[in-house]
Amino acid sequence: MSILTVMMLICVIGAGMLFFIPTAKTVLVKQISLAISILVALIGIYLVGSLDKTQSGMQFVEIRNWIPTFGINYSVGVDGISAVLILMSVLLVPIVLLATWNESENGRWSVRTFQILVLILEVFMIGVFAATDLFLFYVFFEAMLIPVYFLIAGYGSGERAAAAVKFLLYSLFGGLLMLAAIIGTYVIAGNQIGKTFDIEKLSTLQIDQTTQNLLFLGFFLAFAIKAPLWPFHTWLPDAARSATTGTSVLLVGVLDKVGTYGMIKFCLKLFPEASRYFTPWIIGLALVSIIYGAIVAIGQKDIRGLIAFTSISHFGFITMGIFAMTTQGMSGANLYMFNHAFSTAALFLIAGWMIARRKSANIADFGGLQRVTPVMAWSFFIAGLSSLALPGLASFVSEFLVLVGTFTRYPVAAVIGTIGIILAALYILIPVQRALHGQTLKSNENLSDLDIRERVAIAPVILLIILLGLFPKPILDLINPAAKTVITSNGFSDPVSKVKK
Amino acid sequence: MNPYVPILAIGAIGFGFAVFSVAIAFITGPKRYNRAKADAYECGIEPSPSAAGGGRFPVKYFLTAMLFIVFDIEIVFLYPWAVTFDQLGLFGLVEMILFIATVFVAYTYVWRRGGLEWD
Amino acid sequence: MLTTPSFEYLLLSPMLIILAAAVIGVLAEAFLDRNHLPVIQLFISVGAILLALIQIYRIKSSSSTSAAIGSVVIDKATIYLQGTILIIGLLALLLISDQEQFVAQASAIPGSREEQESTSKGSIQTEIYPLLSFALAGMMLFTCASDLITLFVALEVFSLPLYLLAGLSRRRRLLSQEAALKYFLLGAYSSAFFLFGAAFLYGISGSVYLVDISSAVSGGYGNDVFVLIGLIFISVGLLFKISAVPFHAWTPDVYQGAPTSVTAFMAAATKVAAFGAILRIFYVVFSPIANQWRPIISVIAIITMVFGSAVAIAQRDVKRMLAYSSIAHAGFILTAVLALNKSGLSAALFYLTTYGLSTLAAFGIITLIRDATGEVTDLNKWAGLGKKSPLIAGSFAFLLLSFAGIPLTSGFIGKFAIFSAAYETGNIAVVVFGVLSSALAAFFYIRVILLMFVAQSQNDSISIAIPSVKSRIAIGATTAATVILGLFPSLLLNITQSFSIFIK
Repeated sequence: MSILTVMMLICVIGAGMLFFIPTAKTVLVKQISLAISILVALIGIYLVGSLDKTQSGMQFVEIRNWIPTFGINYSVGVDGISAVLILMSVLLVPIVLLATWNESENGRWSVRTFQILVLILEVFMIGVFAATDLFLFYVFFEAMLIPVYFLIAGYGSGERAAAAVKFLLYSLFGGLLMLAAIIGTYVIAGNQIGKTFDIEKLSTLQIDQTTQNLLFLGFFLAFAIKAPLWPFHTWLPDAARSATTGTSVLLVGVLDKVGTYGMIKFCLKLFPEASRYFTPWIIGLALVSIIYGAIVAIGQKDIRGLIAFTSISHFGFITMGIFAMTTQGMSGANLYMFNHAFSTAALFLIAGWMIARRKSANIADFGGLQRVTPVMAWSFFIAGLSSLALPGLASFVSEFLVLVGTFTRYPVAAVIGTIGIILAALYILIPVQRALHGQTLKSNENLSDLDIRERVAIAPVILLIILLGLFPKPILDLINPAAKTVITSNGFSDPVSKVKK
Repeated sequence: MNPYVPILAIGAIGFGFAVFSVAIAFITGPKRYNRAKADAYECGIEPSPSAAGGGRFPVKYFLTAMLFIVFDIEIVFLYPWAVTFDQLGLFGLVEMILFIATVFVAYTYVWRRGGLEWD
Repeated sequence: MLTTPSFEYLLLSPMLIILAAAVIGVLAEAFLDRNHLPVIQLFISVGAILLALIQIYRIKSSSSTSAAIGSVVIDKATIYLQGTILIIGLLALLLISDQEQFVAQASAIPGSREEQESTSKGSIQTEIYPLLSFALAGMMLFTCASDLITLFVALEVFSLPLYLLAGLSRRRRLLSQEAALKYFLLGAYSSAFFLFGAAFLYGISGSVYLVDISSAVSGGYGNDVFVLIGLIFISVGLLFKISAVPFHAWTPDVYQGAPTSVTAFMAAATKVAAFGAILRIFYVVFSPIANQWRPIISVIAIITMVFGSAVAIAQRDVKRMLAYSSIAHAGFILTAVLALNKSGLSAALFYLTTYGLSTLAAFGIITLIRDATGEVTDLNKWAGLGKKSPLIAGSFAFLLLSFAGIPLTSGFIGKFAIFSAAYETGNIAVVVFGVLSSALAAFFYIRVILLMFVAQSQNDSISIAIPSVKSRIAIGATTAATVILGLFPSLLLNITQSFSIFIK
């Protein structure tokens, strides 16, 4: 049994255990689910640590027959890219659980249900990144929606029901289009090499350009909605505003990464010609996302809305890096996915604490927090600086790589993309200045700083942001071979060498 | 000749006859109106608006009609069997007994559940 | 000179057993003590179904075209469909035997003193059992009939009892009777269409046997306009039974008016039977002229899926909503008819079974949600059900997710199987529409889930009846099947694969 399966099984067993604990014992329930998520996170660290970096293929592979009639297997395995994303997911879950310790108590349902949903979601998150069978991937991809839906609808605030439905319908719509494309790919495979969903085998198919373009669009739309890319982004700000902080972190930090991960793993791999055909358009969309997300973020009054829109801008960068089709761009995009998860998580978590203390999400209601709650303010400041890609902090390396990678092929796009960085300075520094610095408002005088639990939860995140800014090498070493394989095995080449000549 | 021509011809003749008879009755027939003429049916039972439930036929009519159909069908099948009795032999006999028994079940049901009690 | 016809009684035995049970049930009605009748009737029906299932198992690998002088074809697909119908019938029977849904005396005028008397006396219309058995037998015959006359007789044998059963609701009797009358009138109308089409096919081939019609179609008469007319009119009769748009108008009214357990049976079993016949006719008889009917059926499938899903959104009554959802599902299964290959047949068999079981479960759960006046089907009153009974509401939500085709449910596997089969033979437009209408359909399923779990309940008048053991078995088994077949679909897929064979 693969270690990946073990991780998923532990979460499943954990969720099953919680089911038998009385609803009233909320503390016990929380402790158990935190313990399980920490255990899984440790296994995740071990997984990444023991990954053979010299090898670019799939590791920790496990293949079992699931539905032989359709050639569907339960097959999991990781390469550098997916291993890093799994690490990201399993690290975030315990942080989220600890950071939002009390959040689940104000929901419509019990704390137990919340914890079970989170653990089930973790199963799907690991599964979606580990699946090497297209059908299995799709199953996890769609199944993931259900726990998130309930997390938003059951524990969120404000227009949570509408936001949950919007989220689900957008995702389902994209997912079902992808299903049609998956069926198309499957039928073509049946005609050429026999019924299979194995991604490696599917990537050997010979598909004519028109069909490939259509199938590509089916996949890409689903991922663009998930990512989310302008103009498919409208669900995200609503969901982020209504969901609990923890849900938002998992939603933006992990779930949205499935979109960009899917672009790398499926769009590029299965339909290289179509990818090339659509690249200019997608780069265009990515640029619009970068600029649009940034500009709208500047105008946001709700702090959670602001973070959501900055994410849209960041996903623009990631998508641009992916479709630049260069090794730097690809590595940068992958590293960006990892970094973005932690800087956004930090922003969301601290924003959540600020909102909980101040009972308002309006940026204008804060002010001078620096003096009253220094730890909280500093954490927010560091996370914000990382989000605007300040050198020395995590996001800088990845954003730089993305821009360099894009520049070698699409210089104009890279230059426009840089505008996004300037806007980023605006959208981060304006709220930082308004909320943290300046006159302390009377209403904020009595706000309390982070307590021990919150500090323990946020410390690793901040630490990661700083460490990855200074030493991104461990993660990059994992990503690079896989990123190189993605680029070369799909028939792309780095244009860098040509420029030099 | 196309085999459907005769069918069409029969159809046309039938239609023509209907039009012809109505037209001829309309043109040549005497027009003397009275109360019976205004009724829905000029023959058969009186429509009885005073019956229970405001103008409905008593359900007994339908029961009787259905019972009639039960035996009617039985007869319809008995005739051809009678003609080919010697050719079908024992098989035919057994099948017919089964058939009659089944029809008889329907009859006993009606009888036992009071379908034959007129009042 | 007539030759004595020969019958293969073993192959016919499942149907004969059910028919015999129906006749015995009528006799029991006539002679036995009315106080003991419910138990006796249930015993007869259940016993007969179990016996028939055993017989089905015994003949599971046999096939014959001459079981009843060419009027009946017993092949793998028939055996599978008959088995499915029997299992659905058995589970539906468990729901139906919870008596309080049925009228005490059907012939009493609604609201009359006579009705009150019979209700307070506790009398029960136990005729439902023989009627159900007749319907079952008709459905079984419908799936294996291989001449037009038998097909028509089977159609009537299973339809007439259903018309009656639809009118036997204990509460809201006028609605129920209206439903029955509508169903009857429209059903009779569609039967007439069917007969009309049958006459044309007889005219073209000079025979009522499907084999002869099939060889006439493939041998020279294929382009004849009369074949097409016959085909279209026969299809109208059949499409009516599966409630494909535009022959669907009866479905919401009947589903709403009929006693819920009867609706469950109707929705699940009628679809299996009618699709059994449709699949046989299109796969066996008309496959040589697929080019002629594919466009028509494609359009019908598309509008059925889209219409069913779109109109369901506007429904405020849970039974009506499920009715429209069943219309949409009919469209999905029609897609399998279009596939016209072995994987399409296998997919259809899988879908019919899983959909039938989930539908039974969903309607079974509806019977449990009650207030002082009986079952509550108004969706607004379902608000907050999740809080009252997480288990029941959770099961219902899961079934809805299965209807919506979310992965890890049997509904998803069924949809995938059908769509991939249809895609294989190039029906890409239908597949894309199917997928899009699934997204549309998801909207209203999700809305109900939202209502149950998220919305605040406005009143506390509704309650969840403690299910009897029989209901518990039926609902539990069907829900469990939806879960298990979602996780391990191979259990059933292997069976449908080996049973998806039609013979001429």
